[in-house]
Amino acid sequence: MFANVTLSLLEGFLGTLKLFILTLLLSLPLGLLISFGSMNKNPIVRLPIRFIIWVVRGTPLMLQLLIIFYGPGIFFGMNFWGSGDTGRFTAALVAFVINYACYFSEIFRGGIQSIPKGQYEAAAVLGLTKGQTFFKIVLLQVVKRIVPPISNEVITLVKDTSLARVIAFYEIIWEGERFIKSAGIIWPLFYTGAFYLVFSGVLTLLFGYIEKKLDYFK
Amino acid sequence: MAILEVKDLKKSFDNQEILKGISFEMEKGQTLSILGSSGSGKTTLLRCLNFLETPDAGTISVNGNLLFDGAVGHEKGVDLREKRLHFGMVFQQFNLFPQYTALENVTLAPKLEANGKSDEEIIELGKELLVKMGLEDRMNNYPHQLSGGQQQRVAIARALALKPDILCFDEPTSALDPELTGEVLKVIKELADQHTTMIIVTHEIGFARDVSDEIIFMDNGVIADKGTPSQLIDNPSNERTRQFLANYLK
Repeated sequence: MFANVTLSLLEGFLGTLKLFILTLLLSLPLGLLISFGSMNKNPIVRLPIRFIIWVVRGTPLMLQLLIIFYGPGIFFGMNFWGSGDTGRFTAALVAFVINYACYFSEIFRGGIQSIPKGQYEAAAVLGLTKGQTFFKIVLLQVVKRIVPPISNEVITLVKDTSLARVIAFYEIIWEGERFIKSAGIIWPLFYTGAFYLVFSGVLTLLFGYIEKKLDYFK
Repeated sequence: MAILEVKDLKKSFDNQEILKGISFEMEKGQTLSILGSSGSGKTTLLRCLNFLETPDAGTISVNGNLLFDGAVGHEKGVDLREKRLHFGMVFQQFNLFPQYTALENVTLAPKLEANGKSDEEIIELGKELLVKMGLEDRMNNYPHQLSGGQQQRVAIARALALKPDILCFDEPTSALDPELTGEVLKVIKELADQHTTMIIVTHEIGFARDVSDEIIFMDNGVIADKGTPSQLIDNPSNERTRQFLANYLK
């Protein structure tokens, strides 16, 4: 029984993992773009982006999932996301990417703005271009500063994937709950916690390793 | 011909005029020190030369080439970067790049600009400069492993690596503990002896006297006094200069 449950839960965890990894891959670069927008000197660019960040961070992710999944059908009468599991997954992914990109953008903004002006000036008098200054001078210093807050968000993301259940996205908690109906047992649902715990443990070690790797400079 | 010619340079911040028309020239191989109390505009002048600030009016010419004309304003991008390279800059706070070793700090910009030089040549030049700064055993250290004086000497090597026409120092020892200023002043003195063209904004009056060919005394956004060290420091004729020196020697 235990082995069967474990296997089923692992299958559900694959759904969790898929959403987690794709969200990270897409929301980190998008977050960087959004952070540039939110620091733009031009208010026509900056203000709408700040507004979007405010809305996204100011409302529950669960609500965003529902609006993104059902919204197009309700307001425009169209089946925007396509049918079946693929549609649910795409909608969930879009909601997660937008939500996490906004959080990441604020972390990036804080990191970028914490780099002393002197670094930019030193790069400028050495004739570096803006691109060289960002990629050769600023970026690694930003990365070093934002590893702790990013690791926080990433670990939150592992657990937030369970919210996708509200649009019937198949993941580990869904699988765990299934045993209540099918076999009348609740412990598989509780058991899902161990999967989250192990996975966030692995991530904690990984981020600890990255932090240590970046310890060679101050 | 003068290596640097500045004419009627003006700069305001928030309607407050910091530079009220600065004109001077200097010859190649000379060391020019700029003295003056805080807020006199001496750092702003240096930053205008490096185009870290854009002057509001006036002209800057190097080797007879007009680099900046306030009547025209500034172009951005490639031209601005090339113009900046006429000037090297050493900052009060060193501003080394923390993720690079001393040697990498020195070679980073030359490698990016390349100009047909191989990386090996650039590294050799970088090592040479660091040896000259007395840092032969510190080349592979990161900035946080160096003392302030060592960091500032790396910063000097970094500026020299691009072979600027004029090397500018913005209060190079102000952020250093007193016992560390000596080692930095010593390398600047050596550079002066080798006829590096330098402009030094400093509070070290004794040092300015030893090292300079000419000294400018700035007060309230204008050049109040100008002369050789013996004219300006030993026998000041200008009333403001005398007051300033008296305050410092107290």
